[in-house]
Amino acid sequence: MQRRDLLRILGGALALPALRGLSPAEAWALGRELHRTIERLPAGRVLDEHQLRTVAAIAERIIPATDTPGAREARVAEFIDLMLADWYDDAGRTRFLDGLVQIDARSRVTHGAPFVELTEARQTALLDELDAEVQALRDADLPTDGHFFQQMKWLTVHGYYTSDVGVREELKWTPIPGGYDPCKAFVPRTVGES
Amino acid sequence: MAQNTWDAIVVGSGISGGWAAKELTERGLDVLVLEAGRPIDPARDYIEHQPVYEFKFRGLGNRQRDRDRQFIQSVAGPFEEETSHFFVDDVDNPYTFDEDKPFYWIRGRHLGGRSLMWGRQTYRLSDLDFEANLREGVGVDWPIRYDDIAPWYDHVEDFIGVSGERLGLPQLPDGKFLPPMQLNCAEEVVKAGIARHFGDERLLTIGRCAILTQEHRGRAACHYCGPCWRGCITHSYFNSLGTTLPAAEATGRLTLRTNSVVAAVLYDEQRDRATGVRVIDSITRHEREYSARLIFLCASALESTRILFNSATSRFPDGLANSSGELGNNLMDHTMGGGATGTIPGLEDRIVQGNRPNGIYVPRFRNVKTRHADFTRGYGFQGGAGRGGWGRGASTRGVGAAFKHALRDPGPWSFTFYGFGECLPYATNRVRLNPERKDAWGVPVLHVSAEWGDNERKQLADMAVTAAEMLEASGARDISAFVQDNAPGLGIHEMGTARMGRDPRTSVLNGYCQTHDVPNLFVTDGACMTSAGCQNPSITYMALTARAAAYAVDKLNRREL
Repeated sequence: MQRRDLLRILGGALALPALRGLSPAEAWALGRELHRTIERLPAGRVLDEHQLRTVAAIAERIIPATDTPGAREARVAEFIDLMLADWYDDAGRTRFLDGLVQIDARSRVTHGAPFVELTEARQTALLDELDAEVQALRDADLPTDGHFFQQMKWLTVHGYYTSDVGVREELKWTPIPGGYDPCKAFVPRTVGES
Repeated sequence: MAQNTWDAIVVGSGISGGWAAKELTERGLDVLVLEAGRPIDPARDYIEHQPVYEFKFRGLGNRQRDRDRQFIQSVAGPFEEETSHFFVDDVDNPYTFDEDKPFYWIRGRHLGGRSLMWGRQTYRLSDLDFEANLREGVGVDWPIRYDDIAPWYDHVEDFIGVSGERLGLPQLPDGKFLPPMQLNCAEEVVKAGIARHFGDERLLTIGRCAILTQEHRGRAACHYCGPCWRGCITHSYFNSLGTTLPAAEATGRLTLRTNSVVAAVLYDEQRDRATGVRVIDSITRHEREYSARLIFLCASALESTRILFNSATSRFPDGLANSSGELGNNLMDHTMGGGATGTIPGLEDRIVQGNRPNGIYVPRFRNVKTRHADFTRGYGFQGGAGRGGWGRGASTRGVGAAFKHALRDPGPWSFTFYGFGECLPYATNRVRLNPERKDAWGVPVLHVSAEWGDNERKQLADMAVTAAEMLEASGARDISAFVQDNAPGLGIHEMGTARMGRDPRTSVLNGYCQTHDVPNLFVTDGACMTSAGCQNPSITYMALTARAAAYAVDKLNRREL
């Protein structure tokens, strides 16, 4: 029996008889699959639609699709929504939401429109200014934690490189690397710059 | 009627309990192993190959749940989102400590215990350690010397498989090693730097670890996936679940009961012998008693101590086998976290392939050949070198395609030394029963009073200096030395609360881990330690357990127990 069929059956009255026929290994694989399905939470538990679109746009400008998928395809905005809902405390959540308000305010002052309506080039330029502010703090040995963009960039980087596409397509991670080479000649990956 | 009498009962199924089970069954005894926690099914519970995106918080931890249920466990280094199911629930398993002196008791209550997530570092003690208390007039003298334990180290290493390099050092005796793992190129640079500048005093070697570098007794060599502590489906690192317990099972003389909380050892005043244990089923809460001619406590240092306190009788009002009054005293751990980190220049065209689950080791060099003016005993360094990955992206300037693609190349090589130091046995560092508090099964809990002393703090400060010196000697740049303030317990090497000694008036156990007071009662986990050494202690617990089991069976067969 295919796992896909099992998942479908589990939705109906036949669930129990079908489960009884499973070996422990099959039941475990199924359990993991179900778990994964259930935990892919619908986005928007904390972020409203506009905020979600804003977060998705910022994340995609930080890590865009190139020769591999970017943050949007990696569903980084949904990960950030989950983090805001279930991981951050009130202070961290508020800091993030305030940062989103400020980024739109900045965008309106400079360009007369909210962030999501800017061209990609203008979005990137605005984020680069924020990134420079964080770097200035870093250069002065001052804490960067309080800056919204540091929080946003950390969430984006973590969310992207630990996502399904980030792990498999960008990092090309394999669970079993096949031995150990302590000093392997390193050939840089082909860089997909346009 | 279900069986309720065995030749021997072993309390605990971890690194010590597994060895007791193996040795006692192989020597012909019918053995009941009681594990307080749940069974572990490797097919379900081992998750070493599961990708990070299958975890809800992608490895960042379930902060809200940790704060509510694992506020102690989640402070420990090996605790992570992926392995939180291998650590106890702190609400169900409470203990208390002095208000101004935090102590972190990091526990695994499940089949295999902490042998599932242990650090796998495997170093013998030497006579420098066994003679230290006597030489310095600290605590009591160990009742054994290296020659007593050496054949048992051989016995254990031969069975579990330990990879490492032979060095011929008196303070860190060689063992029966499988081929060593390899240092990476930046570690070779530091090794050479140390040899050049400190050759007659210090050296760097690959860690000696209970991980197979070749097939060994039917277990496969390591495949370098990395996170051993999440379980290993090929049994390439040693834990009791995949190695000693199956050996015991193969004799046909093992009975294993999980979810069995041992509340107390039963003692017969007339016969002056332990007669069995009182057990609470952790699910039904039903109590029952099991009998045996021989009892081995292998529940972990503090759990075994707690069981003895909870087994007080009219003859032993302060805890079973505690006529000395030393039960609970002399709690030790290893200090942890003096060190230094730096960047190793060059080697840009070299990377490491595979995840070596082992680091470097710098054997103890303080108070070996010469006496240090500020402190006694010593410390060893663990650590290693690696290149930065994508994680540096969050603190690197840039956005966009160039930023993303720059993160494809590894970052610079960095090297970290991380020290582990010996803690002296202080009578004032101790545990007692806290009669006010009970755990989820109604068993009275422990109260811990522990703090580092002056000697420990001076060692930690020295670690930062010597680590920075070695990095400097190796040409490292951006060196930063550190002294972390890790509270006692976080080394997860708590030990010493039922110490061995020659005199029944000042120690709980004799040289065979046998209680001075009750001849058929043994304690063979970390509780038995008379001093701590600075070496990771698990192999010593294993060797002492095997030695105690051989002795106990011999005595039993001669009807001397």
